Order: sequence, then C-alpha cells, then structure tokens
Amino acid sequence: MSQSAILTAAEFRLDGDLGELARLSAEVARFCQAGSLGENVEFHLNLILEELFANVIAHGGCRGMKDVVAVHLESESDGTVAMEFADRGTAFDPSAAPPPDLDAPLGERKAGGLGLHFVRSLARIVEYRRQDGWNHLNLRLTESV
Amino acid sequence: MIEVTLQTKSGWCVVGVSGRADAEAAEELENRLRGAVQHNPKVAADFSALAYISSAGIRAVLEAARAAQEAKVEFTVCAPSTPVRKVFDMSGLHHILTVQGELPC
Repeated sequence: MSQSAILTAAEFRLDGDLGELARLSAEVARFCQAGSLGENVEFHLNLILEELFANVIAHGGCRGMKDVVAVHLESESDGTVAMEFADRGTAFDPSAAPPPDLDAPLGERKAGGLGLHFVRSLARIVEYRRQDGWNHLNLRLTESV
Repeated sequence: MIEVTLQTKSGWCVVGVSGRADAEAAEELENRLRGAVQHNPKVAADFSALAYISSAGIRAVLEAARAAQEAKVEFTVCAPSTPVRKVFDMSGLHHILTVQGELPC
C-alpha cells in the first residue's frame, strides 16, 4: 500500500451469479459518491470489476457458489484509486495472460480476452498472489481522479 | 438491465438501447439487435441513452454486426456517450464496426 492517506474505503462480497452485477454497480456508485469521485472513475471501476467478476464465473468454476469474490476499494489522498479483487476460483494470474488479437477478422475473433484487455487498459496490475485457495489481485486505476 | 425501442425512419430501423449493457443484459441485447438485422436492410443501433457497456455488451454488438455482414445488411452504431465510445475504441473494432457520432437519419 502507498504512503498516502486513505480517504474513502469500501468492502463487499459477491456470490457466483451474474445477478450480482446490479449490486456491484450499486456498491461502486456508493463508494464513488462517498469519495466525490467522478463519473469516469465510476464507469471504469465498474468495467474493471465486472470483467474480473465475469471471468471468475465463466472460467473460475465459481458459478452458483456463495461469497466467491471479495472486493476492497480505496481512494487515496494522492488522487489514486486502489482495488483488491479476491476470488475463490481456479488459480489464474491475469497479468500473465496473453493479449487478445484485436486485428483478427470479424469471423475469426475469439470471444474471450477482450475483458482482460479492458482491465489492463484502465488499471495497472500491482500484484497477483495465490494464497489459501484464493486469487488476490491488487490493481490501481491508471487515470487519477 | 436494458430497455429497447424500435423505430423506422427514412428506411432505417433505429434500435434505441438504454440502461446498462453488462454481462447480464448481453444476451437480450444480441437477440434484439439480431432480430432487427433479420427483418431490415438498414439497422442503426442508437446508443445515445446507453449508460454503460462492458466486453459482454461489445461482444453482443459484434455478433449482431457479424449477422448483418452475412445478410448484407447495413449496420451502424450511433451516438454513444464519451465513456461508452471509449470502450468501443479500446476494443479496437474500428475496422469491423462503424461507430458514428450521430444517427444516419
């Protein structure tokens, strides 16, 4: 964690169900409102967290399970937003995944990969670690507030 | 959750989409866009009231564009807000999907 003071923090858990996306966006909205963070930050946080969450459900074997994801958000006095995304899915390091082939023709484009591309376009992956059956991913929004 | 309206204007079928095109809404978005593509020679997806889109929403649009290409139907995405436009830009689909600032009609 950085030296700057934490202004606002939020923490929540999600079940392995896409229906949780409504709660995810409500939690992100509340966090952004409390920290007076703008609409762009809210949009990008939503996007990053949805992509990570959707990947865990689709590929992590977490569909239908309770409390599979734990999210921690912090806005800091230096104008940055830090996230920890933890999940109980299969071990997976997003920083090691290959980038998608954006130049492939329409008919040949693979479905996956785009979400992680968005995550890496909007955030810097600070650390990945696997611990006690959980993936822990620490990220920082690259756009400051 | 998304809401979809259909309108015919100057030979175009205008599909107005509002709400959040997230992973939960993606299937409905794809079905509605593909439905419009099946029945019209020119389809414009009006995204001016779309608040949010993720990769799942982008894929839904991509599938509809693919169906349009196969059916020789003109298909365009119009008037997205700046943050929604940025998601299209990040996806690097410029050569596949036409995204226009304004509606064609």
